[in-house]
Amino acid sequence: MGHTSLEKIIALQKKTPHIRNLCILAHVDHGKTTLADCLVASNGIISSRLAGKLRYLDSREDEQIRGITMKSSAISLHYTTGGNEYLINLIDSPGHVDFSSEVSTAVRLCDGAIVVVDAVEGVCPQTQVVLRQAWLENIRPVLVINKIDRLIVELKLTSQEAYTHLQKILEQVNAVTGSLFTSKVLEERAEKDAEAQSSCTENGSGDQVYDWSAGLEETDDSDLYFSPDRGNVVFASAIDGWGFSIHQFAEMYSQKMGIRSSVLLKTLWGDFYLNAKAKKIMKGAQSKGKKPLFVQLVLDNIWSMYDAVVTRRDKEKVEKMVTSLGLKVMSRDLRHSDPKVLLSAICSQWLPVSQAVLSMVCEKLPSPAEISAERVEKLMSVGARRFDSLPEQTQELKKAFLDCSADETAPVIVFVSKMFAVDSKALPQNKQRPLTQEEIAQRREQARQRHAERQAANQSAESPGAGCIATPINRCITEALSVKTAVEEDNKEHFVAFARVYSGVLRKGQKVFVLGPKYDPSLALRLPEGCSAADVLPSVPHMACCTVDSLYLLMGRELEELDEVPTGNVLGIGGMEEFILKSATISTSPSCPPFTPLNFEATPIVRVAVEPKHPSEMPKLVRGMRLLNQADPCAEVLIQETGEHVLVTAGEVHLQRCLDDLRERFAKIEISASKPIIPFRETVIRPPKVDMVNEDMGKQQKVAVIHQVKEEQTKYPEGVQVDSTGLVTLTTPNKMATVGVRAIPLPEEVTRLLEDNVELIRTMEQFSLFAWEDKTLDINQKILENIQEFKVKLESNLQGRKWRGAVERIWAFGPRRCGPNILLNSVEGYRRPSVWQCLEREKETEKAEIRDFDNSIASGFQLATLSGPMCEEPLMGVCFSVETWDMKLSAPLAQQDSIDEDSQTAEPNIDNQNESSDTHETNASSASSNRSRSGAEAAGSSVDCYGPFSGQLIAAMKEACRYAFQAKPQRLMAAMYTCEIMATAEVLGRVYAVLSKREGRVLQEEMKEGTDMFIIKAVLPVAESFGFADEIRKRTSGLASPQLVFSHWEVISSDPFWVPTTEEEYLHFGEKADSSNQALKYMNAVRRRKGLYVEEKIVEHAEKQRTLSKNK
Amino acid sequence: MSIFTPTNQIRLTNVAVVRMKKAGKRFEIACYKNKVMSWRSGAEKDLDEVLQTHTVFVNVSKGQVAKRDDLSSAFGTEDLTEACTQILAKGELQVSDRERQSQLEHMFRDIATIVAEKCVNPETKRPYTVILIERAMKDIHFSVKANKSTKQQALEVIKQLQQSIQIQRAHMRLRFVLPARDGKRLKEKLRPLIKTVENEDFTEQLEMVCLIDPGCFRDIDELIRCETKGKGTLEVLSLKDVEEGDEKLE
Repeated sequence: MGHTSLEKIIALQKKTPHIRNLCILAHVDHGKTTLADCLVASNGIISSRLAGKLRYLDSREDEQIRGITMKSSAISLHYTTGGNEYLINLIDSPGHVDFSSEVSTAVRLCDGAIVVVDAVEGVCPQTQVVLRQAWLENIRPVLVINKIDRLIVELKLTSQEAYTHLQKILEQVNAVTGSLFTSKVLEERAEKDAEAQSSCTENGSGDQVYDWSAGLEETDDSDLYFSPDRGNVVFASAIDGWGFSIHQFAEMYSQKMGIRSSVLLKTLWGDFYLNAKAKKIMKGAQSKGKKPLFVQLVLDNIWSMYDAVVTRRDKEKVEKMVTSLGLKVMSRDLRHSDPKVLLSAICSQWLPVSQAVLSMVCEKLPSPAEISAERVEKLMSVGARRFDSLPEQTQELKKAFLDCSADETAPVIVFVSKMFAVDSKALPQNKQRPLTQEEIAQRREQARQRHAERQAANQSAESPGAGCIATPINRCITEALSVKTAVEEDNKEHFVAFARVYSGVLRKGQKVFVLGPKYDPSLALRLPEGCSAADVLPSVPHMACCTVDSLYLLMGRELEELDEVPTGNVLGIGGMEEFILKSATISTSPSCPPFTPLNFEATPIVRVAVEPKHPSEMPKLVRGMRLLNQADPCAEVLIQETGEHVLVTAGEVHLQRCLDDLRERFAKIEISASKPIIPFRETVIRPPKVDMVNEDMGKQQKVAVIHQVKEEQTKYPEGVQVDSTGLVTLTTPNKMATVGVRAIPLPEEVTRLLEDNVELIRTMEQFSLFAWEDKTLDINQKILENIQEFKVKLESNLQGRKWRGAVERIWAFGPRRCGPNILLNSVEGYRRPSVWQCLEREKETEKAEIRDFDNSIASGFQLATLSGPMCEEPLMGVCFSVETWDMKLSAPLAQQDSIDEDSQTAEPNIDNQNESSDTHETNASSASSNRSRSGAEAAGSSVDCYGPFSGQLIAAMKEACRYAFQAKPQRLMAAMYTCEIMATAEVLGRVYAVLSKREGRVLQEEMKEGTDMFIIKAVLPVAESFGFADEIRKRTSGLASPQLVFSHWEVISSDPFWVPTTEEEYLHFGEKADSSNQALKYMNAVRRRKGLYVEEKIVEHAEKQRTLSKNK
Repeated sequence: MSIFTPTNQIRLTNVAVVRMKKAGKRFEIACYKNKVMSWRSGAEKDLDEVLQTHTVFVNVSKGQVAKRDDLSSAFGTEDLTEACTQILAKGELQVSDRERQSQLEHMFRDIATIVAEKCVNPETKRPYTVILIERAMKDIHFSVKANKSTKQQALEVIKQLQQSIQIQRAHMRLRFVLPARDGKRLKEKLRPLIKTVENEDFTEQLEMVCLIDPGCFRDIDELIRCETKGKGTLEVLSLKDVEEGDEKLE
């Protein structure tokens, strides 16, 4: 068959019933792309000799190198059978689990699927996944059992054994389909039950009759299964280029043996044998020990062919076979030293695989016009919304789907499942074309002119005429410039939308609506009736209008430009990158709903931080990551608060591809990927009751602990006093203020409450800020109610003597004024306006005064909570209670001013200043305690050698908080992921092993109803999650797939500063106890990363250093 | 050289000498290399891991042991271990290679951390990561000076980094309220110190919310305090003006 022209394909595109949209699905390395190659070769696009070796649809370089497909790509093929011409839009999909998102995008656009199964390996994890995907999208699958040659050549099975083997594979595939079917039926059943139950309770009928029959028996499932006699199975060896369905053999033998082909068709597969004497087909081949018909008539022939050609290389026999089959084999092939060449030459003529597969596809798979109503409803109803709940106009569109007509009047509905990047060179507009005669002539003329000019210039250069020379040079420069701009344009990546027309005709230059995945069609109903995309419309969220720039026919690596695409075809749309991020629906009718989002089997979980090698190239990286995000349906890109650029991918191979893409296509810079930074929190806890070996801490040991505390106290610098209850008192360097602070752990519920209500706290903070300036901020009633509720909840959680009145006394939240830590005002005789004043606005109670430097104390607290003493990470769940706050300063204003002036003019004159501060202190007692705020500012301005007083107080408060924190048992908090793992029963053990190795904890494990899958819920520290997904997949051979979501912070129970103190602990942990202390490991890692001091020895064993230099 | 020539001179390897002059005498002790700093910082608690021998020398390389009388006159004790710990704590020593290396490494990290904390990318208002800053510092061939404070060096390196990457100190957000009388006059004076004014309200009082470079804070603070005679208020709204929360690139 020759090369199909573009015109032919365009003509075929219009005949909707003769279009087949299908994709090839399989486990990795089961031969999808090779099969696709054979099909492509049948259209003469590639040589049939190269089929299976070229992997035409793997157009990326890394795809060719690694030998796996990484993206889905489409090609349109032409096929003629029985006088009918068909257009086949074939989509090849990747099989690797990391790229299952690509499979989703491919499946969505198709009506049918070819599921390929390796004859040796059988059903593999990914086979199950793709079958499930096809099932969920309601598309009809057909089966190709590939690599039968391996049974002959590698496993050396006899034809009889091969037959039983193939039977087994078929059973496995059908078992998967069956389980999908049962789970669906059970699900429907459960839904029905739920409905029935609700109606029952409404009716109030007491006796419930439960129907245990589960509905399985009633539902017919026979058309789901694969069976050769139903014609939806092909046996093939794509690499050798042959393949057959039972049909072909049935036809062949019906003539030879005189048995009707319909009878043969039924008996060729199954437990039948040929009674040679009676010339009759009998049942029960197995029990009578006879060869089944399939073996005798089909497999034996192939076996003998392989035997003659490959194993024995019997030339005469080969020739005999060739002539008996009526084939023509070129003598070149006959003489070729590699028997495979001869084999494929014979086989591809005898039983061409493309013939077998394509005829099956055309017969068994539906055309776009036969789309089922059920599937349409599923596509149109987004999320949990039922189809009936959609607006009426939208429901009407269902008819357009079902009609699938290419009329002018039919609304255009197109679904874009992904965007893919194309080099601008590959676009048809920029492609090099053979020049026409005129163009060549024109160019020649130009060249001649240029030559003439140059000669003229040379001549004039000899004669002094500078002006003439300038012109050609100028021309050169302008030319160079234009070349440069052209190059710049070339570098730009173009995005082509991978799409399919479901209804109507999409034309170039047409105005259409682009509907984002979150678009709500009911919004569009407010628009004026009968409007079109050409009108100017008020903006609706997630909707955009645009003009279709260019349409392409996807031909594997190439794109062909088209003017219009009628319904039912797969196409590429250019110029959409502005409007579409990843997927979208395109329509001329605004009432069209966005299609349901693609079901991705794999969610992105492998996180890495990406950075440019050269820091100055940051903008390029950001741009590149944006492009990557658009080009890859499954990759996620985020910037974290720490400034890290995080790339989230589905797996290790996917990650590699994304990084390659970034390096070579999108960013074009060197980048490095590393483990992302892991956040921690610091907290304090109540003193533990038991020690590390679970012994109750007796009185005696407590004494020891206190003793230890005393010892530690010597570590505190001067000026800090710590009493045994953890109260820390600290004086500012100029000895003017003293603060006493105590750290108290907050109950867990309170911490959670504070975390959840960040927004409320922020509002309250804003309110008090305004109140301070004697202004009011209007807060609406609802928020006030929420605040009230929040306060009540806090009160109910802070019970007990210790917390009496605590909620009223809250001074501030931190860090950043809204974090999960509390500053408590326990200073006797100091009443400051509470943080709850927005609630008490109406009451207008007596105005509580604010002491001077109130702000400094709060600032000190904010700083302290922002970075804790353990490893400078934020605090969490700590309450700092200010117990004492003494000040002894004040200065009359008049004096102050003069001092200020002094200190400005002669700042380094410390003596002078000290004197002035002395005068302050003497005046302090006489000054009234009730100072105005502005006065306080002035007092604070007394510049002494320690800097401004407010700064000193901030520093003192911060230090006091830190010491108070250290006086309590400190703990590290780790971020935790909840991890949901789906796994089959046989790999459960290994899943547990991986989890426990990574400090994970299993919360629950239950069986998914109707399947053999287990769902395990576990929590896992984020710090241990790097490489977790990969490890679990490797260990379970891909049968378990985890999903990680950040859930909460959890206190790591071990104390990072713990050392064994009792006899048992020594026995259990050894002297250093550094083996088991996870918290210490984390803490040191963070400290090392931040360049903080880590208490560890540079050299562990002094004696073991390399002591001797060479014989000197 | 022949295959093996016996040497009559024994070299001291793996020995670090700590010296101290006290009571007019020189004392030395023999320690292991790379251990003295750990001892001083408290990481190493085993004295035997630090000292080669509990002997106080006058000259370690010559093997001359200090006299008992000198010891007791200098240290007030005859206990060798006690004398050794005193010398260890206060004596002078040559910092050995690994110690110096790890010290510089720590300082380098520390500087990078400080820079990363203080600075943002002016385009995105997001901080750079420490690793990126480290790489940028290496790119401009920044070398750590062991005798300068890390904070000081960090401020210097920010200036140098500005030439190679887009980096800026994170702005401080301030709010000040000035009495109407001084408002106009002060505003002119403050203008050069302020980067951007976010909000300005001049009704009864001049109220301003603005972003400033943290280096100018002292100046502004002083200006307001002096010029308004303590009637103006200054408040720090945020120390660092950075984007908060994660952002999805789209």
